[in-house]
Amino acid sequence: MNLQWVLSILVFSPLLGIIVLAFMPKMEEKAIKLVGFLATLPPLFLALAAYLHFQWGKDLADFAVSKDWIQFRGMNVQEPIYSVYYELGLSGFQLLLVVLTAIVATLSAIAAARFVKKEWKGYFMLFLLLEIGMLGVFTAENLILFFIFFEVTLIPTFFLIGKWGYFEKEKAAYSFLIYNGLGSAVLLIVIMILFAKTGTTNIDLLTQIMADPSAPLSSDLKLGLLIALLIAFGVKLPIFPLHSWMLKVHVQAPPSVVMIHSGILLKIGAYGLIRFGMGIFPEQFETLSVLIAVLGVINLLYGAFLAFIQADFKMVLAYSSISHMGIVLIGLAAMNEAGVQGAIFQVVSHGLISALLFFLVGVLYERTDTSLIENLGGMAKGMPIAAGFLLAGGMASLGLPGMSGFVSEFMAFLGLFKELPWIAAVGTIGIIMTAAYLLRAVLGITYGKAHREFTGVLDLKGVEFVPVVVLMALIVLIGVYPSVLSSPLQTTLETIMLGLGG
Amino acid sequence: MMENAWLIPLFPLLSFLILLLFGKRLKEASAYVGILLTLASLIYSILVLFERFSEPTYSTKFDWLTIGDLHLTAGFEVNQLNALMLFIVSLVSFLVHTYSKGYMHGDERFPVFYAYLGLFTFAMLGLVISPNLLQTYIFWELVGVGSFLLIGFYYYKEEAKAAAKKAFIMTRIGDVGLFIGMILLFWQTKSFEYSEIFSAVEAGAVSQTMITLTAILIFIGAVGKSGQFPLHTWLPDAMEGPTPVSALIHAATMVAAGVYLVAALFPLFLASKTALLTIAIIGAVTAIFAASIGIVQTDIKRVLAYSTVSQLGYMMLALGTAGYVAGVFHLMTHAFFKALLFLAAGSVIHAVHTQNIEEMGGLWKKLKLTGPLFLIGTLAISGVPGLSGFFSKDEILIAAWEGGHPVLFLLALIAAFMTAFYMFRLFFMVFTGEARGNQKHVHESPNNMTYPMILLGILAVIAGYVNTPWFGSFLGDWLVDGNPALGHGHIEGPIWIMIAATVVSLAGIYLAYLMYYKRTIARNWLSGTGDTLHTILLNKYYVDEFYQMTVVAATKAISYLLRFIDVFVVEGLVKGVVGIVQGLGKTGSKMQTGQVQTYGAVAFIGLALLAVIFALTGGYLR
Repeated sequence: MNLQWVLSILVFSPLLGIIVLAFMPKMEEKAIKLVGFLATLPPLFLALAAYLHFQWGKDLADFAVSKDWIQFRGMNVQEPIYSVYYELGLSGFQLLLVVLTAIVATLSAIAAARFVKKEWKGYFMLFLLLEIGMLGVFTAENLILFFIFFEVTLIPTFFLIGKWGYFEKEKAAYSFLIYNGLGSAVLLIVIMILFAKTGTTNIDLLTQIMADPSAPLSSDLKLGLLIALLIAFGVKLPIFPLHSWMLKVHVQAPPSVVMIHSGILLKIGAYGLIRFGMGIFPEQFETLSVLIAVLGVINLLYGAFLAFIQADFKMVLAYSSISHMGIVLIGLAAMNEAGVQGAIFQVVSHGLISALLFFLVGVLYERTDTSLIENLGGMAKGMPIAAGFLLAGGMASLGLPGMSGFVSEFMAFLGLFKELPWIAAVGTIGIIMTAAYLLRAVLGITYGKAHREFTGVLDLKGVEFVPVVVLMALIVLIGVYPSVLSSPLQTTLETIMLGLGG
Repeated sequence: MMENAWLIPLFPLLSFLILLLFGKRLKEASAYVGILLTLASLIYSILVLFERFSEPTYSTKFDWLTIGDLHLTAGFEVNQLNALMLFIVSLVSFLVHTYSKGYMHGDERFPVFYAYLGLFTFAMLGLVISPNLLQTYIFWELVGVGSFLLIGFYYYKEEAKAAAKKAFIMTRIGDVGLFIGMILLFWQTKSFEYSEIFSAVEAGAVSQTMITLTAILIFIGAVGKSGQFPLHTWLPDAMEGPTPVSALIHAATMVAAGVYLVAALFPLFLASKTALLTIAIIGAVTAIFAASIGIVQTDIKRVLAYSTVSQLGYMMLALGTAGYVAGVFHLMTHAFFKALLFLAAGSVIHAVHTQNIEEMGGLWKKLKLTGPLFLIGTLAISGVPGLSGFFSKDEILIAAWEGGHPVLFLLALIAAFMTAFYMFRLFFMVFTGEARGNQKHVHESPNNMTYPMILLGILAVIAGYVNTPWFGSFLGDWLVDGNPALGHGHIEGPIWIMIAATVVSLAGIYLAYLMYYKRTIARNWLSGTGDTLHTILLNKYYVDEFYQMTVVAATKAISYLLRFIDVFVVEGLVKGVVGIVQGLGKTGSKMQTGQVQTYGAVAFIGLALLAVIFALTGGYLR
């Protein structure tokens, strides 16, 4: 069976929703929300089908597609010198991210239907465009295509933050744009140098070329390119000290956008570091591994200590994201199977957990108009179910065994302890601090005496259960049966390890 | 039977899930779900225990997580220690489930309470059948969550909230030790399996330094969970939880998990003299340290909490002096008499609605069942001959003496004196003398509360006879059967130790009798003569305050320092970036002045420059 069309449809199917929405009247609130939600379903079903395809023992290479796209010819030459193809494909790692994206996007659409209060049409059109960008980023097989999709994610996000956010939304949106714009600029330079020097942007081909000692790039240049990549994706991840933009975004963007932003967009940074940084420049990555480990520990502790004293729950979660991305770096710096698998697990796991927590923030804000911890308290009285999920989400985030966070944290540390035990030992302080700041925040909101005005607030209801239950189920599933993630990853891991020469 | 022992933890898990989903509808009928399912666990545990008497150890495993070539497994194992623990845990849990039906009657969140109890029991049972360190760690943490949820059950009370948070974070500090130790050990032995770790250690594949380091790190985990000094401060605070919880978690089962962990990894600890000595010292220090605090406390549950800390110290001391059997034996007897004491204390609180012993008194006549049962527990913990505590404490003292630690032996003996003293102080103040508080509607507790107490009372008396110097050391022989490394089933000790222990215990009781019953010695002779000492004890040696001033303050200081960096340095960087972008923009826009003269001048200069270059290079640019 020819499955080449699947990925193209998967990536571009939200376009259908955009077109339908374009022809709808602005005030049809219910219909717009419905279309916006339905448009996220085709990618979801296709992504899940692809996952099942893999689990039934079929080859993911069936999905690969490659078509002529752009060619640059010399003056008197018939053969094109530089060709860019339209290439999409799936490896186990990409598959997981695509599934994650599709799930979080659908749930975010539900959140948007609950929490977005105005101009639904514009919101959902931008949102669907964003989804195309994200799906494209994770399926693109060459750097140019990756870059284009990467840019496609920036613009809708900018408007989604700037228009539908909270009080300082414009500032947050610009800060987002400037940082990410600079990151993309650096990324573009790297891509162009690689393209000019090797004549291709195909990721697998580049990996092969770079592994060849006679490659047309000096090792200094490779190191320089890797450092540039580290900066470009470090903005996205974010790596300290490039993080301040994401704090603003986390606080100012609407909850449904933060679900996407924290759940998926930050993960592009991790994806890029793993696939391009580690994949294309394995030797140089090894040279930098101590630096990356140190950066990872700094991220982990810096985020954790700052999360400990935040007054706003959204800020706690924002710093918590920084802290958790430190775990990704720690795992990568280990450069062994356990570490890299831990990093990838963390990418998926944090995507689910932060989506859950930010959805609950949305629920909370919707009812109380605040996310300041001191203004809340005793919410378990009025909304026991939401409070229970918040506590469970907090537990997942602090790495409670039986939930996804533990498996990733454990593997990342397992990996790093083998290579750099001292740095890892410093990092374990983060495990304690994570518990401290999450309990401080979560108990501050749900435990204690109930504020009088919030005793009658409504608990979770109706569709609000869908995101919460689905995300929690996935978090527990991964925690209890991690093979759902690890089995697709084995080939990816082997490839990376092969590149590392191990 | 044994091959299906994995079912034992699943019954309470089922209870947890059922109650989570349908608790609201079941209301107080939730209790039956919990009670029946833990009863199933109990019955199964008893069957497994009996089967284990005659059959060899059963274990099985399957792949849980694959990392490249590493296959991490999960599974379960029924060895002697595990079978015994399954029995203890499921028994106490079942009794507490039954007891709570009366104790928690009328509580708004009754089903939630039973759901949490189920979760905890599941985790604890899972912990004690784990065949490898990773799985142990997983359940270890889950047990912690169960405890956290139950301590914070009265979530609207600020004290309960603080206590729950403290318990979680303090035990987590210990857990990180376990976490690091476990991972380091893995890279040394390439396995988390207990059996493989032991054989690697035995084969000398691990260096001595590494054995000591990992053993001590793992012990730190046990220190946190078992409330050993210096991570003990959470345990007395944990008394904010409902009393049945204190009996189940903070007396009989979870806090004993640290002791269980050391026992389960005993061959590792045996390989390092330093690690063993560390355990013994920490144990002895904790035993006497906590006992001394127990003397001055006035909250009935806190006295019991400090006595728990102290008794756990005893168990650690036993293990640290290579008294494997003594440690496990005391774990078992303690589980019974301490659970009894807590449930009886709960019954008292249920009757008089206060926990302050200054407001009790004269309850012997009013609580006709609770009183004698509390007395049995008190006699047992004090080490009065004939009851269970006497035999197990005796074993520990012998182990300490024979292990060649006379100082630690002396500490343990003094602690035994204190234990007898403060436990009888508690008993006399609660049950004898005049009624001091408002005791109008005092009545005995309902049957579902007293029956579990009666059963535990019987066990508190007879449980010691499975391992005595008089009738044979059946338990000890069985525990070490097939594992000569663990030591002998029974250590012969000089007879004077038993006599000394008895004398010390009776002396403690007599002193309490004189002070709190006869009143021939003034109650305040201690606070009167040594005011400073009394204040120090009352304030629990200021350990909490010390942590507040050092660790907590340092954490806050670091956080604020980092905030300073975040606000000024990192934001400064942001301003810099924004400044550069804006600067470029402004420069760019300044060029667009719209003045044709400027444009013309620039164009002319450019042309002139080109002409010069053209001339200098001789016509072509190369």
